[in-house]
Amino acid sequence: MKNIYTISLLTFREALSKKIFLFFFSVSTFVILVFALLFGFVSAESFSGGFVNASTTSFDNSIANGIKMFIIYPLYAGGLFLSIFSVAGFIPTLLEKGNIDLILSKPVSRPQVILGKFFGGTFMVFSNIFYAIFMLWILIGIKFSVWEANFLLSAFTITLAFASIYSIIILVGILSKSSTFSLVISYMIFFIFSPILSSRDTIFAFIDSGFWKTLFEMLYYIIPQTSDLSTITTSFAVGNSVENFDSIIFSIVYIILILLGAIFIFRKKDY
Amino acid sequence: MNAIEVNQLTKIYKTSKKNIEVTALNNFSLIVKKGEIFGLLGPNGAGKTTLIKILLGIVFPTSGSATILGSPISDFRIKQKIGFLPENHKFPNYLTAEQTLKYFAQLSNVEIKNVGLQIDKLLELVKMTKWKKTKISKFSKGMMQRLGLAQAMMNNPELIFLDEPTDGVDPIGRKEIRDVLNDLKNSGTTIFLNSHLLSEVELVSDRVAIMNSGKLLKEGTVEDLTTSKESYIIETASNFDNNLLLESFDNISIKLDPANKLNVNVKDNLELNFVIDKIRKAGVNIKTISIQKHSLEELFMSLINDERRGEK
Repeated sequence: MKNIYTISLLTFREALSKKIFLFFFSVSTFVILVFALLFGFVSAESFSGGFVNASTTSFDNSIANGIKMFIIYPLYAGGLFLSIFSVAGFIPTLLEKGNIDLILSKPVSRPQVILGKFFGGTFMVFSNIFYAIFMLWILIGIKFSVWEANFLLSAFTITLAFASIYSIIILVGILSKSSTFSLVISYMIFFIFSPILSSRDTIFAFIDSGFWKTLFEMLYYIIPQTSDLSTITTSFAVGNSVENFDSIIFSIVYIILILLGAIFIFRKKDY
Repeated sequence: MNAIEVNQLTKIYKTSKKNIEVTALNNFSLIVKKGEIFGLLGPNGAGKTTLIKILLGIVFPTSGSATILGSPISDFRIKQKIGFLPENHKFPNYLTAEQTLKYFAQLSNVEIKNVGLQIDKLLELVKMTKWKKTKISKFSKGMMQRLGLAQAMMNNPELIFLDEPTDGVDPIGRKEIRDVLNDLKNSGTTIFLNSHLLSEVELVSDRVAIMNSGKLLKEGTVEDLTTSKESYIIETASNFDNNLLLESFDNISIKLDPANKLNVNVKDNLELNFVIDKIRKAGVNIKTISIQKHSLEELFMSLINDERRGEK
């Protein structure tokens, strides 16, 4: 455990050294400050444009949910876009000659190296996302007295979506040693394949071929279900009840399986 | 117990694209005793780095076995007692010298309470104290080598592998590194030195092995390898007739150099005494008789050239 922690900590530092995470943090801080100022100077009624002049609980909830949705979408898409970009090089950098030799010459097992990298990168992303969500939760709570704890859970589902993509980045990084290739694959999954496969039921209405339907169905279970996690994240954010946790369970199992695969390959490779 | 025991190690690399096999180590066997400085010599591509990487579990052998400090190389925990400075090592460039050493100390399971003191001690030893808080992205190659050496010593290893430790270091720095190696040796650490700088290896090593194309060509103490027991230098005090020598020793190879030194190649002691008797009989005064010494470089070149001729 100590070795995983040490490598995680270094990965966290590596992430910090990347300007992109600082940019992410700065943007989050800027948005938080803008809302803090806005909440400080503008009354709750003004958010409705003066159409409602009574501060009721349902009114506050609606406004609060509107703000949450305004934040959660860019945080999910933009936050993950930046996070994926910044971690894509972690494994290829780790595997560079002169670096991997040093780490493997220490009393550290190969699975510990991979798990350290995974947890370090994931924790960095979680910190950034949780920081933004938690601060907004505080601000919304103070302004509208809406303390919906489920909003905080969205930080976990966004992190889970990142972690499932990051596990793919690790696997592809070990196989290809290329950050560009890892990046292309990750973006394709996140922005193209996952949204398409998530709406496969709609697509099936236009397809008769059983082959394509089976193929789509198979791909749905091979590729991380980040779009489904996005739906759950939105539900958490606005306080809707989430009845189907399949995507969360699937993502956790998916991460474990992909990491096991990555570890299996990493254990066999010469460096 | 020996520090390293290598038994019939073979490593064959397979290139993924053309399915070509490259034999980096070919039934390679070696023993390194505890407490010695062992130098491994060989031209580029001889298999030196592959051997070290196999011993450290970075590369897996195709066949054969090896132990380090009595444990099989597959046991990663033994690395707690090992230090390693790889060739062209890369440290995380966003860390300072101190943070780098701390990180590797933690990975080597050094007790946290000892880390600070150990860092100060080692940075002083490699003359890097004033760069303690400097980010290593600003370091020169020589400074990186010094820091790398400190890193390899962080866990007070019983065995230390150094792959080209003086690479990129100026002559003064090299002398300082040699001094560090000798101090380490005096403290009982076994040093496995991998270098193509023959003079460096000759200066510090107790024993050396010369390898080429994955095979061990020669192994022994520096003294044994550089001393030719069949060649002697006889220094004379007076001039003598060169023809007389040629006539008297038709079966023995003798060469006279301008400084009145005879280079004599004999089969054994008897033949040497025969030569001495002849010279004395001719009325020549002998000043000194010494064993002919070759530099490690001469031996290395001769072995590698023989090997290459054999391959042709």
